[in-house]
Amino acid sequence: MMHAALSQSTLQSPLPSPLLIDELTMIRAPLVKALGALGSPTHQIASRAVRTSAVLAQTPAKAPEKIEVFVDDIPVQVLPGTTVLQAAAEVGVEIPRFCYHERLAVAGNCRMCLVEVEKSPKPVAACAMPVMKGWRIKTNSDLTRKAREGVMEFLLMNHPLDCPICDQGGECDLQDQAMAFGSDRSRFTDINYTGKRAVEDKDIGPLVKTVMTRCIHCTRCVRFASEIAGVDDLGTTGRGNDMQIGTYVEKLFLTELSGNVIDLCPVGALTNKPYSFVARPWEIRKVSSIDVLDAVGSNIVVSTRTNEVLRILPRENEDVNEEWLADKSRFACDGLKRQRLVAPMVRMPNGELQAVEWEGALIAVAKALKQANGQVAGVAGQLADVEAMVALKDLVNRLEGETLVTEADFIKGAGIDVRGSYLLNSTIAGLEQADAVLLVGTNPRYEAPLVNTRLRKAYVHNELQIASIGPKIDLSYQHDNLGADASLIKDVCSGAHAFSKVLEGAKKPAIIIGADLLARSDGAAIHATISEYCQKLNKPDWNSFNVLHNNAAQVGAFDVGYQAGAQRAVDAKPKVLFLLNADAGKVTREQLPKDCFVVYIGSHGDAGASMADAVLPGAAYTEKQATYVNTEGRPQQTQPGVSPPGMAREDWKILRALSEVVGTPLNYNTLDELRSRMEQVAPHLTRLGQLTPAGNNELSAKVTPSKSINGGPIDVKQKELRDYFMTDAISRASPTMAKCISAVNKQQRLNEQSKQSVAI
Amino acid sequence: MAGREAVKRAVQQVRPILSVDREEARKRALNLYKAWYRQMPYIVMDYDIPMSVEQCRSKLREEFSKNRNVTDIRVIDMLVIKGQMELKESVEIWKQKGHIMRYWKESQDPKPTDFLSKFIQGIN
Repeated sequence: MMHAALSQSTLQSPLPSPLLIDELTMIRAPLVKALGALGSPTHQIASRAVRTSAVLAQTPAKAPEKIEVFVDDIPVQVLPGTTVLQAAAEVGVEIPRFCYHERLAVAGNCRMCLVEVEKSPKPVAACAMPVMKGWRIKTNSDLTRKAREGVMEFLLMNHPLDCPICDQGGECDLQDQAMAFGSDRSRFTDINYTGKRAVEDKDIGPLVKTVMTRCIHCTRCVRFASEIAGVDDLGTTGRGNDMQIGTYVEKLFLTELSGNVIDLCPVGALTNKPYSFVARPWEIRKVSSIDVLDAVGSNIVVSTRTNEVLRILPRENEDVNEEWLADKSRFACDGLKRQRLVAPMVRMPNGELQAVEWEGALIAVAKALKQANGQVAGVAGQLADVEAMVALKDLVNRLEGETLVTEADFIKGAGIDVRGSYLLNSTIAGLEQADAVLLVGTNPRYEAPLVNTRLRKAYVHNELQIASIGPKIDLSYQHDNLGADASLIKDVCSGAHAFSKVLEGAKKPAIIIGADLLARSDGAAIHATISEYCQKLNKPDWNSFNVLHNNAAQVGAFDVGYQAGAQRAVDAKPKVLFLLNADAGKVTREQLPKDCFVVYIGSHGDAGASMADAVLPGAAYTEKQATYVNTEGRPQQTQPGVSPPGMAREDWKILRALSEVVGTPLNYNTLDELRSRMEQVAPHLTRLGQLTPAGNNELSAKVTPSKSINGGPIDVKQKELRDYFMTDAISRASPTMAKCISAVNKQQRLNEQSKQSVAI
Repeated sequence: MAGREAVKRAVQQVRPILSVDREEARKRALNLYKAWYRQMPYIVMDYDIPMSVEQCRSKLREEFSKNRNVTDIRVIDMLVIKGQMELKESVEIWKQKGHIMRYWKESQDPKPTDFLSKFIQGIN
């Protein structure tokens, strides 16, 4: 029976075998739809599956007439093409399922969602069956319950009874549904364990642990990999009882999104490797927070216990990260426990940093500030929060210093006066509707993986045409690489290039500029050229000008009036230089005057702390309530899950205390008072979670650039997966991220070896 | 209607604990003070505390002054009763040396109130 059920379902799956996966991967939805018309049954189902999710993604222009169905005798009006499962969800009836997932194509192979439909000879799979007019669906009839019990029995027949040692225990769909819908007694007689299926575990990398015996073949991971991540490494081999999920040849399943298969897996087959055997879900405390390791501002849940961050999970937010999370954000949390600064330190005359009490450190810094005579500068790094940046700005201004910059470079000169000129104006969710996108000097796949999934979604469902100017990179979807020459920007923006026609003909075109590109000497010219061209592309309700930042702090820093580029701080020749989480190593000791006193405020002992004369330990993003503004300009706040280690304090409080020791106390004592100060600086910063439209970037376009675009070829920093894992102080301190890099390197060595052996 | 009830509640008579008027309550408080005052030399001697009789008497005055703003007769009575209990415990040596010394709060640090001292102590 098990064989029959599974092999039958395999046929219905859109991804029945590794061979077919290859055929289907690069095919987009519209093409699949066309194939569906050819009449192949497999393709028909595949097209319906893809189309269902496409219907979800975009609302149809003209709403067709609704049809009435009855779910447990409750009438409900639904659009044609709605599945039984969706119709039931509309009246609040949850049908149990394993393989069905809203954001993935319908597979219909777990059979858990079988429900009875009146006058139908057998139960139907609710997730795949579109409703017909007047159907009476019975989700709690005897037949339905018997079907569920049967399916449950088949699933459990080959599922190991290892819940006590399974990491999914307590948050396992199979466990929950076996309790709710399974049979109340067992017919299992094989007490000698002769017949249970056992499958060898696979090594698919340092992030995802596999216990393949627990797999129930829902193929969610396979569908996620090929549809969302765009990496066709996972597939199924074998049929019936011998079916296995895997990579076929032993290789890594390591993408920038691989951690999401852990959340998708309804059982404990794919679990979090660094988190394995660490905690149970009922022991941990969950705190809703924001991720800061890229500029997307993904919503996360931080799981903590005994004042330790144990793991990070995504939190659903349709506007930002849907329900996915990038691997760096998910797995770099063990970097929060290493390389931490736990006590204030002052550099002694012999050149060594020595731990001191807070009083001593504050007095040492205050003494230097008194002697500086206003020659004070501040550099905000990539993890700096808005509160601390506002406090630093107020402090430096009170000491009559002017130079406040971000460590990351951006346009030289004017250009960030208007908010719209440095934001991702189309918004992350908006990019899903774009139909032509030009990427200039950016690799969204690694700079902002969740922006890239939006682009891929639009590519699959919305016939998005993508071109890139920059090096040849793998974006996980097809795109035209126009070349790496900077003069191409001028060609496209003058309308002469072939892709200009595509952009101008598009309903919702978008140009995305990498933030690093604008740091070039001709960055201002590139910015102005594209900005001017975007004026032409803009539609009444659509802003096509986008800048993709890499740093969580960048937009917030510009919002509160920081200038771009650490070089400015060096040029100011300060007597005292504040480094606020500035760890990218843009400022070095050699560039600074000999008598410059460097003060580092931050959480990790990295580049900034090693060159500082005074180190004031701050809190990491899981330890403070702080605001961060993401690349589309959405302010969101982190929440403290644990307390700062040792003598570390929240960053803004350090600056507030320092201001008092210097003798010019800042006039806020609490976070609320600081927030109202932030509101004075930039009112949108306290409207947490809301997007304040930046308006038009006309003003900045009017600043005609004196320089023309002349720089050399365009490059991006993060080209390959190995460049992705370590980009900031936290991920550099994370052993898991180090393991990822060595795993990628090892995989590459293996690939080269196999290529050589083939050549021989 | 509501107004009348409020007035009724305001002028409502409560049962006295001991004293029926302010003068009586005052007398009880003064009597308690005198009793403590006279007992002080014996307390210093019995408990062998490193305080002089004068210091103890000024502490006694301080403790009474803490409640100088109390006007409610029932509250005054209750405070007097508690004071008598304390006195009884002290006289009968039911207390120990530490209990007496606790009036001076020598081992208790005052809680920081300004930002900087809170910051340095790590209290938020």
